[in-house]
Amino acid sequence: MASSELVAQTLVNGLLLGGIYAVAALGLSLVFGIMDIVNLAHGHMLMVGGYVAIILFAATGITPLVGMLLAMVLLFVLGVVLQKVLLQHVVDEGLEQPIIVLFGLALVLQNVGRVLLGGDARSSDIGVPGSGLDLGMVYLSFPRTVTFVIAVLLIVGTWAYLQYTKTGQAIRATAQNRTAARYMGIDTERIYVITLGIGTALAGAAGSLLSMLYPIDPFVGWSYLLKAFAVVVLGGVGSILGTLVGGLVIGVSENLGALYLGGGYRNIVSFSIFLAVLLIKPEGLFGGSQ
Amino acid sequence: MSLIERRRGRTLLDDRRVQAAGALLVAALATVPFVMNFYVTELLFTGLVFVILGVSWNLLAGYAGQISLGHAAFFGMGAFVSAWLTTPTGADLPESIQLPVLLAVLVGGLVAALISLVVGPIMFRLRGHYFAIGTLALAAIIQLVMQDQREYTGGATGYFVDSDPVEELVPPLTAEATVYLVTLAVAVLTVLVTYRIVESPTGLGMKAIHDDEDAASGLGVDPLKYKMYAFVVSSFFAGIAGALYAQYTLYINPGSTLDIVWTIDTLVIVILGGMGTVAGPLLGAGLFLGLDNLLSSVVGELSTAVEGALIVLFIVFLPSGVYGLIDDYLVSDAEPRSDDERATAKRSSDATDDG
Repeated sequence: MASSELVAQTLVNGLLLGGIYAVAALGLSLVFGIMDIVNLAHGHMLMVGGYVAIILFAATGITPLVGMLLAMVLLFVLGVVLQKVLLQHVVDEGLEQPIIVLFGLALVLQNVGRVLLGGDARSSDIGVPGSGLDLGMVYLSFPRTVTFVIAVLLIVGTWAYLQYTKTGQAIRATAQNRTAARYMGIDTERIYVITLGIGTALAGAAGSLLSMLYPIDPFVGWSYLLKAFAVVVLGGVGSILGTLVGGLVIGVSENLGALYLGGGYRNIVSFSIFLAVLLIKPEGLFGGSQ
Repeated sequence: MSLIERRRGRTLLDDRRVQAAGALLVAALATVPFVMNFYVTELLFTGLVFVILGVSWNLLAGYAGQISLGHAAFFGMGAFVSAWLTTPTGADLPESIQLPVLLAVLVGGLVAALISLVVGPIMFRLRGHYFAIGTLALAAIIQLVMQDQREYTGGATGYFVDSDPVEELVPPLTAEATVYLVTLAVAVLTVLVTYRIVESPTGLGMKAIHDDEDAASGLGVDPLKYKMYAFVVSSFFAGIAGALYAQYTLYINPGSTLDIVWTIDTLVIVILGGMGTVAGPLLGAGLFLGLDNLLSSVVGELSTAVEGALIVLFIVFLPSGVYGLIDDYLVSDAEPRSDDERATAKRSSDATDDG
């Protein structure tokens, strides 16, 4: 049996990791809630964001905390272009087409990533001085704590954007009722473009943050997609608080799973929770009825 | 003027000339292991596996409208079950369960169908996107568990299938040629069975769910029944394809045989060829085989990226696939039947009445 200190440490690490999962999930949830599209390439966009931070850090030593901003800008642009060039032809066209388009995009990102960067896993380092906090029973490592704080800031920032800005309100209106929003003079085409941009930018941010804690390779896309989606169903589509809590739950449970069942079970645990929630309570724990 | 005249509502497969060409093609394919070298045989074997995978997935996704991203799981489970049954010692299973290759292949398909029968009612509580991503998660879990079960699957080392067939073989039949011929037969069977299903009232039920599940349900079509029908048949054939693959290549690995890459290839094939058409996946499999080999020599490692880009472009700009193109430009059925034809039909029915 694991010692209580080890369990407490695992719990804390899980919570801190869960914050990043929540950022990734928030991007997925926004796009799903507003455009009714599951971005199957979300995990691969996260991978791209991770590599942006890793490469920038390796080449110039610039901290991934700055690299994250670059990753967000790049992925925002990718999202905007994707929507304008491809997705706007298939959005509102039923299920199959967007699913397959994004699936194809995921393949492209994974394959190009592997060819350009090789199949080896790489990671970055926080690159700024600082020390962790020793709280006696548990130790808050510096990179984990910093990435968690940034993750929470990103989530609060997104919430504030949706809550208080004109565009944010238009996005929420579109989520509530697309047709009514259009009648009220909201340019829903533009809202879709912005939404996908924000969604993919959040994936990029999550990838950059994760690169400081775990190695990234070109094949991580699928598993992060499933984790992010697990968080979305756990928290309920469209609920920001739910997404944060869902992220923490997934982070903690997969860390506990890895501790008690072995490292190979990390992903099995989170995917199983995902399937279980999907089947038992598909509207999510925080049942946003979108 | 169209190349192939066709009556309304009939598909290419009803055309005698197409049937004859199909029979010729099958006959030609049957001679391959005896007249061609190992490389060509293996290439065409892979093509046949792709036909089975594509046609079976198309039944579920193209006709019943359920985009499953877990096809690889059924393929891989079929492969492992057949491997356990022909080579039980590899997984420390009792030798008494050893079966002849063909029987083991059949059981592989049946177990895949059984899995779909069990998980189907649960997965079909999910609709649309949730179903797609739910099947992706299910397949990922199955792969992770199988990778973890080293004693049964060989883990990263993989699983070697014994090449000594239990049956006596009559020369010139080799074990490889036998599996190849069986695969050809199964591919033909898959096409015929799928064709029968989609042309039957069951197929109509599937298409109704595909078009509008709520409306179909309101009209008394039980969605679960038709989805399950498509799912179980589709998984059965995917399992058989996997089992045949295991018996042909004699080596499987949970990392690659259960990998999402099989789902990806299946999607590419069906989408290039044309979703929701009988001939689409057949064209797609041929196209994919050529494309895959062409791309790996032209763009090398980037071939998957080009395939990904192709399915994106096809689904956005040519959702009916290559078959759709052929259907539009070569086969014209836009015009109603001519008066001549109608008169002929009337005369012949009159003649029947008289006689």
